[in-house]
Amino acid sequence: MLLPTALNGQQPDPFLSDAELAIQFRERCEYVIDQVVKNTDPTNTARGGMFTVAANLHRGANLEWARAHIREANETPTGAMFWMHPMVLMMETGRGVLNDDDWAFIKELWRTYFPYRGDTENHWIMYYASIYLAAEMFPDAGPDQWYNGKSSAENMAEAKEYISDWIHITTSYGQGEYDSPNYIEEYTRPMALLAGWAQDPVVRQQGKMMMDYILLDYVVENIDGLYGGAHSRLYPRYLLQPSLTAGAAHGWLFFNQGEYRPNAGNTLIALSGYTPPPILYRIAHGRGDEAYVQRELKRTRWRLRHAGPDAFEIDGKSTTPVYKYSYVHPDYILGSSQGGLLQPIQQQTWSLIWREDDSSGKTNTMFGLQPYSSPLEGTMYFPSDWDTVTDLIARSKVDYDSPDKLEGGSPYEHVFQEESTLIALYDIPEGTRFPLISTLFSRDLKDRVEDQSGWIFGHGGPVYVAYRPFAPGEWKEVDWTGLLKSGAGAWFSTNFEELARGSQCFVSESLKNGYIVQVAPISEFESFDAFKKAIRELPLQYELSPTPSVRFTNLAGKELVATYGGQLSVDGKAVDHSKWKLFDGPFSRAERESETLEIHYGQERYKLDFKSLSTETTILEAE
Amino acid sequence: MKHSVFTLATGLAAIAIASQLHGSDHSKIFAALAMTKAQESSPIPTDSGVFLYDEASDDWHRTGPVIQAINSITTDPSNPERLFLACGNGIVRSLDGGETWKMTSGWRESDFTKIAIDPKNGDNVYAASVWGISVSRDGGETWNPSNKGLAEKYSRTIIIDERKPKRVMLGTADGVYQSNDGANTWRPIRTSPKLTILRIARSQANLDLWIAGTEGQGVYLSRNDGKSWTQTASDLADKNIYAVAVDPFDASRMAAAGWGTGVWISSDGGKTWLDRGDGLPSQNVTSMTFDPNHKGRLWVSTFEEGTVYSDRLGEDWQDGGLMGAYVYDLGVISVP
Repeated sequence: MLLPTALNGQQPDPFLSDAELAIQFRERCEYVIDQVVKNTDPTNTARGGMFTVAANLHRGANLEWARAHIREANETPTGAMFWMHPMVLMMETGRGVLNDDDWAFIKELWRTYFPYRGDTENHWIMYYASIYLAAEMFPDAGPDQWYNGKSSAENMAEAKEYISDWIHITTSYGQGEYDSPNYIEEYTRPMALLAGWAQDPVVRQQGKMMMDYILLDYVVENIDGLYGGAHSRLYPRYLLQPSLTAGAAHGWLFFNQGEYRPNAGNTLIALSGYTPPPILYRIAHGRGDEAYVQRELKRTRWRLRHAGPDAFEIDGKSTTPVYKYSYVHPDYILGSSQGGLLQPIQQQTWSLIWREDDSSGKTNTMFGLQPYSSPLEGTMYFPSDWDTVTDLIARSKVDYDSPDKLEGGSPYEHVFQEESTLIALYDIPEGTRFPLISTLFSRDLKDRVEDQSGWIFGHGGPVYVAYRPFAPGEWKEVDWTGLLKSGAGAWFSTNFEELARGSQCFVSESLKNGYIVQVAPISEFESFDAFKKAIRELPLQYELSPTPSVRFTNLAGKELVATYGGQLSVDGKAVDHSKWKLFDGPFSRAERESETLEIHYGQERYKLDFKSLSTETTILEAE
Repeated sequence: MKHSVFTLATGLAAIAIASQLHGSDHSKIFAALAMTKAQESSPIPTDSGVFLYDEASDDWHRTGPVIQAINSITTDPSNPERLFLACGNGIVRSLDGGETWKMTSGWRESDFTKIAIDPKNGDNVYAASVWGISVSRDGGETWNPSNKGLAEKYSRTIIIDERKPKRVMLGTADGVYQSNDGANTWRPIRTSPKLTILRIARSQANLDLWIAGTEGQGVYLSRNDGKSWTQTASDLADKNIYAVAVDPFDASRMAAAGWGTGVWISSDGGKTWLDRGDGLPSQNVTSMTFDPNHKGRLWVSTFEEGTVYSDRLGEDWQDGGLMGAYVYDLGVISVP
């Protein structure tokens, strides 16, 4: 089975007609479904999963296998919302295909298996989208027919209210589990389910519009399908190879970026019938040569303790603003958040990714962190005990309590950014569990050299990178290869050594610390030496004691001044976060508490209004 | 003691308590727990739920639905057919002794830690959660938040004063709070430590005696019905104390335990304390209760290393089962 011909070897064209874009998107969807069906082993009823069952039911293929697998896979239901939403997908695609015995079996599962609602935003939205659709399929079912003793009407009403509230909060204050290259599909899956199958037109429209919203959020910080900038959550192997993420898989499906990779979320979306608005494709492919700044306002996960001075409440729950800043260049994305404990466990405070001709197998990224773990962080976000929370987190996020980890926020890290220049400052108290900072230097950052000036230079793809540490450090192999204890969790860490081999971290154990990252496109310099010379000549002053601070004039000639615990000043003007918008960039604009999002491309304007649940396309007059 | 082997429930969402009871006991020891010791490569414990100790079979039996993160169970003092589960998912209630269950809370409520029911009017139900207090005035059918006056909503423990049921004591992340109007409003008790209260217990033999375990400051006692609190057990002064208990037959006998502390016993009303951690399977204790059915028996749950009991105030310990469990709450409930 071949890839859709229109997609192979052709340069994507942002000016394709809406009809052509829709046809090509549908071809990719069909390809996804075809691949799942093709790879089904009808002789093995123990393997497959409900996504595979759904694709087969949709095609009318391997039906006896599907029926047997539904039963075998559900001998002992587990996984809560990760059980619920694939089940709902299977049920929706099974309409008219499954028989009475199948439905009786399925109903009994929903009566007897009591799923946990979870402890994250993605858990809850998957839970409620799933129970909504399941209840909608059996609208007359009474309380005795559902695990939680609520009737279908009660379950639908509760789910509808939660879904509306989640949308209200997200479009008013920013997403809590924001911009995750991994977890993007934990949001597109439930939204596509609603967009595709909700019978209630309100819920269906909510699903469709939130799909548009999430994809806009992704596409404006996207380079060849790779999700750039600061992220709420990322797993180690995906940190090292951005092309492996669910975000990258979505890039192929939605925008014909990168390569096809099997992805469960793509299977669900392909089956759902959801089609993205063409303007998103045009943003993905038609940005031209101009770089731009993308500012976004997000928020932390709900904080149940230790909320901190920056916290504010929404409906009685505490959260804290997250100020995202990304410089999106045609060749790279350098992006950051302000630092601090913005998300538990898997935060990526800043990152650089650069374009590669083929990013498969490439570690085309750079990032830094203070590998912090503590009960303070755990109990801030989880209802666990001080003395057990770290241990319990590490049962599934094995690297959480490791000095070698590659992700995580720290209260002792403050990050500042102005376009292609990033400053990170650290003030780590004595006694901190892992008193060090670490910066990844990828194996794909070539010709790395430690210059006598104190700068470290390298280049990756079409990008030069200069890194100036403020304290001595040493090079260490990326040596965390911690497979989960049982050896399970292939999605988490399989091939980690292979992914990491050849990459190193610059590790510094000075408690008062910092560095500058300066990025530039190769095209702007005659040679690597010319870049180095230009960097060496940049005025730089820094102090580490008593409080780390820096004064630096960057390649653009702007003077940046930053102090740990303070704000960035650019040419004497302090950056003001107080008026930060939910989205602020050339392709997107949304005011805080607006519940709207305006998407721009050229003369096109596509507006999402979540208060009226309406979308509007307008064409501005040509300038 | 039989060593129970818990298996995941495969079908029944509810198992009636009544069917598991033997003899004429009217109260039983319960353990709200998750089996975390065998939890590898997963955020999900291998089993979860509420288990009742059955003396006749010397074993623990599940009661109620299988749901991840059930933190406690409570029965209505005036009607043991009415049971409430404090769950991560919310509040799950049975009106028929555990035959059927319903999650009566909605999406706004979650992560409950403890529930208390008005002994004189079962319509008033108060539920503590890490997000604050929820109150029901209709027997748990509907719930509303009630956090007025709280500086911190995070709450782990809640007790109704049986002498004055409109008086409710609450352990929060900002110390002990009390309400005198049935949990409509709260005010801090100034003499309680201004930090997280992990557990409050009250003596049944002397209702003026209260004991509290704290996060980071050990054990506090009140001998004047919660009006003023003073630190006790100086050896535990900087410890996280997850478990406190007072002997229901003798107010002079009390116990405190926490992380890395083992069990400490006082037999003189809190004046002096003795380390009785020897013989415990672990010094990390998560929950504890005296047994009203056995005078002087103290049950102690350690983190993942099993539950034990002692009839000699910790001079020796007997295997009580539940190996591998993280017991969030160990206590006593009335049974039909």
